Amino acid sequence: MTVDPFTIEVIRHGLSAAAEEMSLTVMRAARSPVLREAGDLSSALTDHKGDLISQGKDIPAHIGTMSFTVKQFLNWIPKEQLRAGDVWFTNHPECGGNHLPDVKAIRPIFAKDKLVAFSISLAHWADVGGAWPGSYYTAATDSIQEGLRLPPLRLFHADGPDREKIAVVTSNVRGQHLTEGDIFAQMSATRSAEQRVLEICEEYGVDVFQQALEQLHDLSEAQMRQALLGLPDGVYKGEDFVDEGGPDDAPAAVRVTITVKGDTADFDFTETDDKINSVLNTTPLMAAAAMMYAIKAVAGPEIQPNGGCYRPLTFKTRPGSLIDPGPMVPIVGGNHETSQRVADAIFRALEGAVPTRLTAGGPTTAGLFIFGGVDAKGRYSTLYEVHGGGEGARTDRDGCPAVRVHMVNTSNTPVEVIEAEYPLRVLQHRLRKGSGGAGKHKGGDGIVREYLTLGDDMVLTTMFERRVVAPYGLCGGESGAPFRATLYRENEPDRELPGKSNMSLKKGDRLKMESSGGGGFGTK
Amino acid sequence: MKNDTASKWRVGIDIGGTFTDIVAINPKDNTIRVGKVPSRYEDPVGAIVEAITSLELEADDIDVIVHGTTRVTNAIIEGTMAPVALLATDGFEDSIEIARLSRAELYHLDVPPKLPPLAPSERRIPVAERMAYTGDVLKPLSAEEISRVVAQAKSLGIDSVAVSLLHSYANGTHERQLGQALADAGLHVSLSHQINPEAREYERTAVTLLDAAVTPIAVNYLGTLENEPLIKGKLRLFHSAGGMATPDAVRNRPLVMAMSGPAAGVAATARLGGGFGHNSLLTFDMGGTTTDVCLVQDGEADISVDKKIAGRPIRMPMVAVESIGAGGGSIVRVDTGGLTIGPDSAGANPGPAAYGNGGTQATITDISVVLGYMNLDKKLGGRMTLDRDAAIKTITPMAEKLGMGIAEFALGTAKVANAVMSRALRRVTVERGVDGRNCALVAFGGAAPLYAAGLARMYGICDVVVPRASSVFSALGCVVADTSYTDQRTIRSESDTWNEASFAAHLAEARTAVLKPFLDEGISEGAIQVEHTALVRYVGQSSEVATRITLPHDISMTGESFRKNHDQLYGFATDESFEIVSLRTVGVLPSGVSATVAPGEPNDGPTLISTGDVWFDAEAPVSTPRYDRATCAAGRQIYGPAILEDASSTVVVPPNWSVTANAAGDLLMKDHDHDR
Repeated sequence: MTVDPFTIEVIRHGLSAAAEEMSLTVMRAARSPVLREAGDLSSALTDHKGDLISQGKDIPAHIGTMSFTVKQFLNWIPKEQLRAGDVWFTNHPECGGNHLPDVKAIRPIFAKDKLVAFSISLAHWADVGGAWPGSYYTAATDSIQEGLRLPPLRLFHADGPDREKIAVVTSNVRGQHLTEGDIFAQMSATRSAEQRVLEICEEYGVDVFQQALEQLHDLSEAQMRQALLGLPDGVYKGEDFVDEGGPDDAPAAVRVTITVKGDTADFDFTETDDKINSVLNTTPLMAAAAMMYAIKAVAGPEIQPNGGCYRPLTFKTRPGSLIDPGPMVPIVGGNHETSQRVADAIFRALEGAVPTRLTAGGPTTAGLFIFGGVDAKGRYSTLYEVHGGGEGARTDRDGCPAVRVHMVNTSNTPVEVIEAEYPLRVLQHRLRKGSGGAGKHKGGDGIVREYLTLGDDMVLTTMFERRVVAPYGLCGGESGAPFRATLYRENEPDRELPGKSNMSLKKGDRLKMESSGGGGFGTK
Repeated sequence: MKNDTASKWRVGIDIGGTFTDIVAINPKDNTIRVGKVPSRYEDPVGAIVEAITSLELEADDIDVIVHGTTRVTNAIIEGTMAPVALLATDGFEDSIEIARLSRAELYHLDVPPKLPPLAPSERRIPVAERMAYTGDVLKPLSAEEISRVVAQAKSLGIDSVAVSLLHSYANGTHERQLGQALADAGLHVSLSHQINPEAREYERTAVTLLDAAVTPIAVNYLGTLENEPLIKGKLRLFHSAGGMATPDAVRNRPLVMAMSGPAAGVAATARLGGGFGHNSLLTFDMGGTTTDVCLVQDGEADISVDKKIAGRPIRMPMVAVESIGAGGGSIVRVDTGGLTIGPDSAGANPGPAAYGNGGTQATITDISVVLGYMNLDKKLGGRMTLDRDAAIKTITPMAEKLGMGIAEFALGTAKVANAVMSRALRRVTVERGVDGRNCALVAFGGAAPLYAAGLARMYGICDVVVPRASSVFSALGCVVADTSYTDQRTIRSESDTWNEASFAAHLAEARTAVLKPFLDEGISEGAIQVEHTALVRYVGQSSEVATRITLPHDISMTGESFRKNHDQLYGFATDESFEIVSLRTVGVLPSGVSATVAPGEPNDGPTLISTGDVWFDAEAPVSTPRYDRATCAAGRQIYGPAILEDASSTVVVPPNWSVTANAAGDLLMKDHDHDR
């Protein structure tokens, strides 16, 4: 059977609409600011084998991960155990996990008793327990210290929520009152996608639906092959560096050798440095997600993203390296920091091949500051502040000021929301003028945001990169200004803060965040 | 001819890109006159006068002229707004440029990730002052500072200024002080706490800036309109929330015109008497580049507060029209990834290949021509005829690439177009917890009656309505709409610390605010209907669920309605505490005019125009009669396949559908494949 191209297109529209609807549902129904304001969440649908078939307009790092999540979930939970109405929650590193705070809700979708698809809602929880509020414990030496590890756990079934299991989960995270609402929001999103898929199956029949998914994979594979033909054949090497954590706390390298041959490409990461003494190690899944993002951005932004895109691509990592560190290694920061190093290494490699398709270095870091405290009712409250910076310049334009680039796409939290809900005052929120790198086209400016602590007993986590290794210029353009965070405390000298730290704050402390400017493009 | 007020005409005028449409209704006997004249880009008022004259109406015959216009919308879309300055709290003058950081395109590195702000940095003026979220003053605004920033604004040589200070939704005193001083200096002023008194500084500032940037355009346009003797003193404007407003009310807040055009068609739908046996109607307005849809339930259009126009957020209550980039001019392509439609369009020039103006890319209109929907003998807009060969020529290579015939390709493309449009329908129904299949689809605008049956069948809708005035439906909407004013204010009160007395004070204030413009016009309070809607959420959520309030207010009843609505939207509801975030109050003066107009002369037709081949199935064309729509006898059922046409629209009735005209001339189409 071959499904006609029109039915394929109709089904594709239905599936992307379903995934986009999921993300909207989570943002509207969730409680934590990290979801409802910053939008640190993603949605996807997979076929019955776990290959991605559609995604929302979300965060590339998440989407890359979710293309592995269901496959590994199925290794863990045999298909026979799945029932209609189930929603399974997991954040386990060995179940398609990227880091513990990103918790996935997975719903198997049955049409006429046949497993036809899965809907997945990934949401970054403001806290998943562990040694430090906000669950970024920068001194962690193993995965257990990073928080609650959930192997696939069925929190909902056809009869409703499993209150006992939900209580186990919420009892082990800070901010229980928010987490429960977030869990229900994720459940609700997977449910709406299930309805959409069932409507499609009813309209066209289960066989046509499943065949259409196969053909969607084939179409994307063909698109990817054609995109790769548009890159010149050759062997390209590139590297980028994590700020610190290597031997003598020096920057540690992610290295890639890309071999483009006809309609295929191979990404060899085996020359990457060894795993480091930090929470910036990451998993091969994230390396794959970054590879997928980078090649799609450079070669084929129009490609319908699904499992078929991966077929012409191969990649290799070296066990024991920064991006293949093995089980039980702490990885909380590597998710959004080191994955961006992988993407940047790929862009650097391609500078010799297709410079005019590239953008100079940008704020490829979460720029994360987590404020933790206890509210008036004695409940934990966590403010998860992420920051963009200046975009790098391109061959034909300046970089844009104050944006998110590449693997991340979360929003900021409005000052008016922060001040109404947390014991903080924001003293300024400005562009960091002159921070973009010079060049024929100059990099965009970063941001300055300065906070005043109004409460006692608050804690702070910093998790950002590009403090030591500045965003790079391309084709002779200059680097952007590096990221910087400064603490001003009464009766103490001003102090520049490290990029990965946990510390206590005192009432009256001022924290000034200055995010990186973008790299320039071309010589001036 | 002399008239007493009771028998004077109500006139609706909608200016579109190609035509200026006019509808006049005489409420005495509900008689209707309809006209269409070419739009004049440089002289819109001239076109309005021509339209009124074409209906043989003079100033004395007219009670009121209600005008819907895309002037403000187009200025926003085309970026031809007036230069503006922004006054913002010192330290936060860049918030508008920083925006919310996220980018719209994930993988397109070449696309600039954000739009530049309407006020570039050299026109952003920091003001030394600061409020807390409680409304307490942290840093007072001094008289010296006021004169300093006003002088600076004045020196920029612009006419319009937006003022958006932090936490002004909680205390607007500083904004008002600045506003007074700026107005005294002769500048137009938009104050954020008046435009949109809600938290989240970027969104509030963005909507205030946009208001300031369209103010000079709107003020000039209104001035020109009111200078015209035929219009003077009779003018009302159609606003985005689906009602009319006085020119003075619009001058104070011109951005209410942002969705004036699309809202008028929706308003007409809301007033279709009785809803044709359905509680819920879906509007389907297919134009050249976009298709607009909106949900109307129990005679009321759905309202949204978080729309974007041309990428700019507009956080104010507007009819919840969902637009999707597929219209008659959308380009059809086949490439490696399969078949796609739009979002780019062939525009008016060169337009679809079938227009014979040198268009070489296939569009949806070309598909309609190839399928036999269009009358090739008729002159479009009195000028050109359609060229079917040119349409076939652009489609052939794509059909060959997919190894199929022309008809099969064209039918398939129509199916994809319907899928794209279904997506818009889904957004306004299922995503709001409504089953769209129980609605009737109301088709109006250029291309909608061609595709309405196909779209309805794909979506599972059995009933389609093509109103009599479908080709001038937005103008009709202007005539029949009510006069309404909306007030939205921040409340932020939680259910477990509820204070009924303070909420009652808010209700009273809001009531006074929406009544004021009516009372100013000398309308009695008793004629106005006031309704309150609470925007409610669980404590901790950021999105609210609109919940109707019944008076006298009882928080437990509001809570019950909220939980019911939440469960319908999200599939769960808990007994946790909730908060009323905002209160939206609408005051309405009903127009008393129905969109179902008085019957015309009885007919015994339909009259056959011609018979021709139409493709409903790729196997073979079906010989299909083409009737003159205006001659259909009321109550006589016509079975498909059939095509009904009038001067400016074509209705396709596929096999297994039937169509029946009612006494008013509205067409009701039914799908007989469904046995529901």
